[in-house]
Parts: sequence; C-alpha cells; structure tokens
Amino acid sequence: MAQPADVRYSKEHEWVKVDGDTATIGITDYAQNSLGDIVYVELPKVGSQVEKSASVGVVESVKAVSDLFTPVGGQVIEVNAELDGDPALVNREPFGSGWMFKLKLNGTDQTDGLLSADEYAELTQE
Amino acid sequence: MTTQERMAKRTPLHEQHVRLGARMIPFGGFDMPVQYSSILKEHEAVRRRAGLFDLSHMGQFILTGENVPAWADELTSNAVGTMKLGQARYNIFTNERGGALDDVIFYRPADRWLLVVNASNADKMWTHLNAHAANAGVTLTSLHGRNALIAIQGPKSVQMLSPHTGVDVDSLKYYFCAEGHVYGKRAVIARTGYTGEDGFEIFLDGADAAHVWDQLLADNEGGGLIPAGLGARDVLRLEAGMPLYGHELTEEITPVQAGLMFAVKLSKPSFVGKPALEAQKAADDYARIVGIVMDGRAPAREGYSVFLGDRRVGEIRSGSIAPSLQNKHIATALVEKEAAAPGTPVVVHIRGTAYGAQVVPLPFYKRSQ
Repeated sequence: MAQPADVRYSKEHEWVKVDGDTATIGITDYAQNSLGDIVYVELPKVGSQVEKSASVGVVESVKAVSDLFTPVGGQVIEVNAELDGDPALVNREPFGSGWMFKLKLNGTDQTDGLLSADEYAELTQE
Repeated sequence: MTTQERMAKRTPLHEQHVRLGARMIPFGGFDMPVQYSSILKEHEAVRRRAGLFDLSHMGQFILTGENVPAWADELTSNAVGTMKLGQARYNIFTNERGGALDDVIFYRPADRWLLVVNASNADKMWTHLNAHAANAGVTLTSLHGRNALIAIQGPKSVQMLSPHTGVDVDSLKYYFCAEGHVYGKRAVIARTGYTGEDGFEIFLDGADAAHVWDQLLADNEGGGLIPAGLGARDVLRLEAGMPLYGHELTEEITPVQAGLMFAVKLSKPSFVGKPALEAQKAADDYARIVGIVMDGRAPAREGYSVFLGDRRVGEIRSGSIAPSLQNKHIATALVEKEAAAPGTPVVVHIRGTAYGAQVVPLPFYKRSQ
C-alpha cells in the first residue's frame, strides 16, 4: 500500500492529517500489518487533553498489546466509534475508515519532527 | 538479536515456511511459523475446511522394552498398561507434589511406543526419562529435531488425506494410530490433534516431510487447505478447552486443579505424586482452572487479576478472541474455589480498569457431529 503523501508520520508508526486546527490520527499500514488481526482498540476520552508523543491508548492484536501514541498534542474532540464493533477496520483501511481519533491542536508547528511519506517509507524499508 | 533467536533450530519444513511467507518466531528452541496469512483466516480454515501445521518442534521419543508400560505407569497419572495396540492416549508426567512435568501423548504402534512431549519441555523430559530408565529394562531413543510431525486438522481432513495413503483413515478411530505410507513415504498416522476438530497427525522422517507437505497443499488448494501457524493453533486449542503447558498446567498447577481428572487414574496402585493428588482431590479446597467469557470487548490476557467482588481470587492464564463464539473474548483463569462455579460473575482488571466477566464451563467450543 502506498503511503499517502498528504499526511505526516511518526517513528512509532502513527499518521496525522492536519486540516486547519484539527488533526486526524491513525496507525500506518506498516503498523497494522506488523500487528496482524486487530481485535481491540482503546482510545482516549473525548474532551481529554493529550501531550505530543504521549501514550493515549492501546491497539491489541490476537497475540499482542501495543501502546498507541499521539504524534501531536491537543484536546480530543472525536474518536472513531466504529472501531468498537469492528476493530478490523484498522487492518482493512488504516488510512481511511480505520482512523482512530481527532484532536483540536494546541498551537502550531506541531508536525515539526514528523516524517514525510518518503522519509517514512525509508524508515520502514530498513 | 537475542541468544534465543541466534540459537533457534530449524524444522525440516523451514524452507517451506519461508517460501509461504510465514512470520517466524522462536518457540521451544525452534524457528517456527506463528502465522502465514492471518491468525483469524487460518482459524477459520481449520473450523470450516482444514489447516496444515508443522509440529516438528515437538519432542518425539521412541520407547522400547517389555517394561515400558509398567515403567511409564509409575511416572505418569494416566494409564499406559491398559492401552491397546494402535491406541493413543493423553497423559501427564507428574512430580511428587502432583504438579505436571509435562503433558504428553503416548502412541502405541506395533513393537514400540512413541512419546510426544512439548517442545518447551523436550530437554527436561529427555533428562527425566533417562534418569529413570537405568536398569528399568527400557530403551530410549530421541528423534527430536530429526523426525517431522505434520498435522492436518479440520472437517475436510479425511477427504484430503485419504486419497494419498493406504491407511484407511476414514475408519481410524479417534485417538488411534496406524502405520503406513503417505505419498509413498513411511509414516505413523494418528487421529489426534489440538484444535477441537477432526484431523490427523502424521509422523515422518524429516527427509520426507517437505514432499508430503508440498503435495498435501498442492492437491488440496481447491478444497481450501491452507498452512496454519502457532497463532491459530493457540486460539483453536483455547476454544476447545485444551490445556497449554506453562499456562493451565505447570509444575505447580496439578492436573486435578486443571480439571484433567480423565487423565488421573487414582485407581492405579501407585505413581509419582499420587498421594498429593489424592489429598488435594479429597480436600477439594484448591484453586482451579475455569473458563471466563468477558462481557465487553476488552481482551483478557495472561497475568491479569480476577476479582470476586473486591477480593482478588486469581489470575488469567490464557486469553484470546474466540471467532467460534461470535468474537467474544475468552480466557482461562486459575481461581479460588468460591469463584469457580459456572455462572459466577467476576471482574477482570485490565490496565487499572474493572471489566465484567462470567465463569463458564469448559470447553468453550465443541464441534457438532
């Protein structure tokens, strides 16, 4: 699967798409593929404040529990409720309907230090 | 790279796994496939059609000598001496406390006994057997790492295997074995498994394994046979309520606690640990293995605490999603007697939050026949 070019990536394999002061966050195709069948996603509470790089939830596959980090900080304004009943959406459409949560960003320049699609592709090919 | 990964041995089917794109993990000293396509897809194939497993990491020991039955009866909780020719039987090697050194299967093809032990316990068991074999009139031979073991498991196993063997696998009874050939290669075929489905385990010389594996997959691709890894195997066995050594059964968790009384013959005159097991059974105050179904969608995992009200009564020993139970999350737990009755509402603590669950009878899944 090609890396979408209009999003930024973290080294922890999350992606973030910024639109004005709103950020949508999910995990990458590489991440879902490494995890295997995803059976549960625990997301941050709507209204909560999260710090850039903080652990804000978990993603569980059949075999493993992994931390979910947020690549940017802000206030959680929405979580993907579909994932509660169908966590495998993350496997099927990691960059689409498998998104995880949305934030109202704290300030600007939050994507500094995050990777471009090309840089992320290089990271995951190592 | 860890020492374990560096030291991992390869089964005779290693090349096959790599070619099939398996994700490999170190397990029991071997580099083993945990999944090929997806654990859930492989699980589904075994429940509906069939899956093919490489179990060559398991320890295979040959026991010969007239004294084998009496000797083995002294070291294990189940009966060996009453096994008929061609029979297979689940058994447990016990310690003085009644704990399990390993859970195993004895097979009795003509003129010898085949003992299959867990990969993780193979070295320990080889040492244990040898320590007791001196002057016992028993000869031990290890085929561990040399022989192969391929399992075909699922409702289509008979129709997929029978055209390629002279053994009448359709008539072979559950927990019996026969010697013959598969694709022209000498084999012991046993109607045993660890998935809760019908199926066969095929013991082969390591050199013959790749041929049989490749042929079975090629001839049954249309029927839906796919390779299945250790990940699917663990989900399948847990749904079927089968213990996994190190989880439901350990040197501390006895077969009485694990609910394996069918494999504990207290009527035998003696065996290692019998007095301890007798006393434990009679006292009936021991912590025991139960089935747990989570109310919600959060998975229970090994080590999580189980509470009855606000009292901690035990811990989760295995946990998984259960595709055969509408994707509910199931688990086994070792809990105090007061919390063990089916229907008991309990609470599982997951990352500091309490989640409701219920104690249920084992197994979770039983195939319809």
